[in-house]
Amino acid sequence: MKATERLGKVIDNIEKVIIGKREIAELSLVALLSHGHVLLEDVPGVGKTMLVRALAKSVGADFKRIQFTPDLLPSDVVGVSIYNPKDMQFHFRPGPIMGNIVLADEINRTSPKTQSALLEAMEEASVTTDGVTMQIPKPFFVMATQNPIEYEGTYPLPEAQLDRFLLRVKMGYPTREEEIEVLTRSQSIPPIEELESVLTLEELLKLQEEVRTIRVDDTIRTYIVELATQTRRDPYVYLGVSPRGSIALMKAAQAYAMLKGRDYVTPDDIQYLAKFVFGHRIMLRSEARYDGITAEELTERIIAKTRVPVQRLVNQ
Amino acid sequence: MTSIRKNKVFMGLLYILVFFLLSEWLRPVIELTETGHHRLFLAFVALGLIMAFFDIPWWVTGPLKLFYILWFIVYVYTGNLFFTADSIGFILEQASISLSALFSQDWQATTDVFRTVLFFALLWMAIYLIHYWVSFRLSIFLFYLLTVIFVAVLDTFSPYSGDAAIVRIMVIGLLLAGLLHLARWMERYGAAAKTDKLLVFSIPLLLLLVASTALAFYLPKAEPIWPDPVPYITSYSGKGGVGEGGVGRIGYGVDDSQLGGSFVSDDTTVFRAEVEEGQYWKVEVKDVYTTKGWELSEEDAQEQLYRNGDEVATDFPPEGEERSSALVDMQLPFPFVLYPYGTSSFLMEETLDYRYDPIQQRFDTLQENAAFEPDVYEVFYSEPSYSLTALRETDTEELAELPPEYDRYLQLPDELPERVRELAEEIAAGSDTVYGQAQAVERYFSTNGFEYSQSDIAVPAEDQDYVDQFLFETQRGYCDNFSTSMVVLLRSLDIPARWVKGFNEGEVIDTVDGYDVYEVTNNNAHSWVEAYMPGVGWMMFEPTIGFTGSSSIDFDLEIDASEPEEEEMPDRPEPEPEAQPEQPDGGTGTDAGPTAGERFLEFVSEHAGKLIAATIGLLLFALMLFKVRKKWLPKVLIPYYRRKKEDAETFEKAYLRLLKQLELYGIKRAPGQTLRSYAEYVDSFYGTKEMTELTAVYEKSVYGGDTESVDWPKLKESWENLINRTSG
Repeated sequence: MKATERLGKVIDNIEKVIIGKREIAELSLVALLSHGHVLLEDVPGVGKTMLVRALAKSVGADFKRIQFTPDLLPSDVVGVSIYNPKDMQFHFRPGPIMGNIVLADEINRTSPKTQSALLEAMEEASVTTDGVTMQIPKPFFVMATQNPIEYEGTYPLPEAQLDRFLLRVKMGYPTREEEIEVLTRSQSIPPIEELESVLTLEELLKLQEEVRTIRVDDTIRTYIVELATQTRRDPYVYLGVSPRGSIALMKAAQAYAMLKGRDYVTPDDIQYLAKFVFGHRIMLRSEARYDGITAEELTERIIAKTRVPVQRLVNQ
Repeated sequence: MTSIRKNKVFMGLLYILVFFLLSEWLRPVIELTETGHHRLFLAFVALGLIMAFFDIPWWVTGPLKLFYILWFIVYVYTGNLFFTADSIGFILEQASISLSALFSQDWQATTDVFRTVLFFALLWMAIYLIHYWVSFRLSIFLFYLLTVIFVAVLDTFSPYSGDAAIVRIMVIGLLLAGLLHLARWMERYGAAAKTDKLLVFSIPLLLLLVASTALAFYLPKAEPIWPDPVPYITSYSGKGGVGEGGVGRIGYGVDDSQLGGSFVSDDTTVFRAEVEEGQYWKVEVKDVYTTKGWELSEEDAQEQLYRNGDEVATDFPPEGEERSSALVDMQLPFPFVLYPYGTSSFLMEETLDYRYDPIQQRFDTLQENAAFEPDVYEVFYSEPSYSLTALRETDTEELAELPPEYDRYLQLPDELPERVRELAEEIAAGSDTVYGQAQAVERYFSTNGFEYSQSDIAVPAEDQDYVDQFLFETQRGYCDNFSTSMVVLLRSLDIPARWVKGFNEGEVIDTVDGYDVYEVTNNNAHSWVEAYMPGVGWMMFEPTIGFTGSSSIDFDLEIDASEPEEEEMPDRPEPEPEAQPEQPDGGTGTDAGPTAGERFLEFVSEHAGKLIAATIGLLLFALMLFKVRKKWLPKVLIPYYRRKKEDAETFEKAYLRLLKQLELYGIKRAPGQTLRSYAEYVDSFYGTKEMTELTAVYEKSVYGGDTESVDWPKLKESWENLINRTSG
């Protein structure tokens, strides 16, 4: 079975639970395939948790959930060593981070200290406590959620740390019809319980390897760099996209191309993903805010004016 | 909504206008071919148009028209008003003659009746075409244009005068074109074709037409800028000769009363001459300057008649006893002989008289008192030579004592501006002999910034003097300007002078028995000056820049030899090749003259105006082609890409070409638009799915680096289909 068909099944599976959120499911899968993490930004109650659970179930992964609160400590995330009087030794009790798919709910509610513990684990895919480094089982995928409404008593993530998320996605409300369908479905047994895995973890790991082989032509690489450079030059931008952002876009595009059944990246992939990859990596000046321009809009503007490469590079 | 085509009043008006336009075609044809029965032909046109107007089916109109044609033949050729047994027999007989002539391809044997039938068939076709243009295409422009061209061509090349016709055609055609445009416009916007509405719309059109016609009619009109091209074109057909010199064509002409204007060169050969040395060939002289040109004084002179071999007496007696002979072979018919300086006698196979008029100095050839145009004749001559000593003793005092018969050579018009006389005084100031003054005037032109040119030459205005204009305003001209000016300047100095017409040496084309064969063409038509040196006699002068003709001087002065050398050889610019071909001294005829590069540069400077115009024309044409390239480019591209190698590279190039074509067509791709979304847009525009298919393959090839999977032969069809759409 081809990669795209298998991934299509995963998405179909998720769609059984989450209605009308195929795009989000695809993006989550893109992040999962390219070893990235997703920051879901939206109001509560639109199905964020359900999405992650459905994804975890579909790939047969271990699902963990951490509810971030102001009093949560780093050890509550990564785990703690407990002294066992029987053998007079410290035994490490792994925290909820040690899972395949972790939902970090309302990540901006906890203290920066705890936030950074989580982000470090995300970046390194390992945790270090008491001088011992432990690998987090693979695949490792964090989906952090953030509520953009309540700012009181929150610790907004610093830009440097936002950079660690591959994609920032906004969930949005379902449409009228979708919401009616949601109501209809929730009358019966919650479908999440019946969900079965359609992809094994081993297969998923293999797909992750395969993503690296997706071809990125020089024209596409030039295009990505051109877009990133444009964000750094824009008068509205205080801080543009870092080279890490460019890498992120390329990797995400590879995964997306695979999802779409191609073995090469096209400019369409780049254009589609750019706003999810660049959105949280651009710091805007206050002028932009006065003019009502968001980072996503700015990205779209840059895409519109940057020339798409349509010809083979001459030196090829 | 009723279609405009259904509006009978409107369409009727159109058909009436069409009838007038068609009759403009008929008129010159009938006039030029001297065909009679103009009205009956017009009636046929009218009949055809009326039947077309009422949409009468072809099986009615066809026989009707045939019947009319037959009736016409019967009426015109047999005189019977009705079909009689005789007339039917006549028709059958004619038909059998013409058909058999037709089958045996014996075109001469076809009869007038047959040609009449053909003419009717042509008219029939024309009626049908116009009917189609007017009622189906609602467009008449092509026919209108053709009509204008037709009449213009006939007016130019035939005796038919289209002066009035062209105005009628313009008015009728513009009205017709305007109404048809109105019709198309109303149809396009679905305006109801009510007669009153049409009237309202037509009013501005009519007003504009009336206003522009009236303006065009009453405003002063400029003279044509270009010389009449007809003489130039007809000169190629070998016509030309006396009297056909026409306006603006170089060559020998009779009327010199209006000089000025540009010349078109004409290399029709006038005659060939076998001579020892190139000669100026004199035809005649003129003595009365009219401020615009030259005329002959009407005084009767004593004409002399000579016969073959008789010693003739001219103002230039032959030098010494020895005679050179020249064989002149005329190519154009002239009723006179051309003669070199120092002519003693003529010889011709035919017996005839040479009538010499000492005022005009032309040898008219007469056979039994009728003008005769000689073919080949021999001239015996010996070029006169002038003693430099005698010339240096020509005293200006003697001019006052000349007998009255020289007065005619001192004539000047009263209107001659004073500054011309002043200039003459100024030029002559340094010289105290008559010869010295004449030489000063002769040299004046080559040292004072005068320019030799045949193109872009002014014609004097009504109140302007030809010489004055040349000397003080234009300083640019050809032989007529220079020679006329010299004569006028000499006369201002009281030196008797006259204007000579003829031909210069021409070009060596061959050598026969030590004689050079010169070919003299209309381009060699020339004019120069003869002036009277008291005590010496008449002498020729050549003031035109670039020409080398001069009197032979006998250096009999007892002074240093280098001085007369200088005296005799005034610095002259190199002769211009097309006007004055270089004389090969060895007589081999192979001397190439100026190098190709020089010739080219000279050609360029000579024809700068035309070249610039041609370049601009070409550029405009290229620009126009470039502007409408979307129309024709696909027609070129398809065969081009069909022939190319069938690989991925060709496909990619073809695809990019398609993008450009689509852009030209007007489907623009924003810089940030990806190929796929563009392809989807293109497909939705055309209602196809080929662009998406092509794009997918292209993306795979370029972004995916997979050139193997490109199957260009298969994709070609889609590509051609799309690129063809872009030319629509």
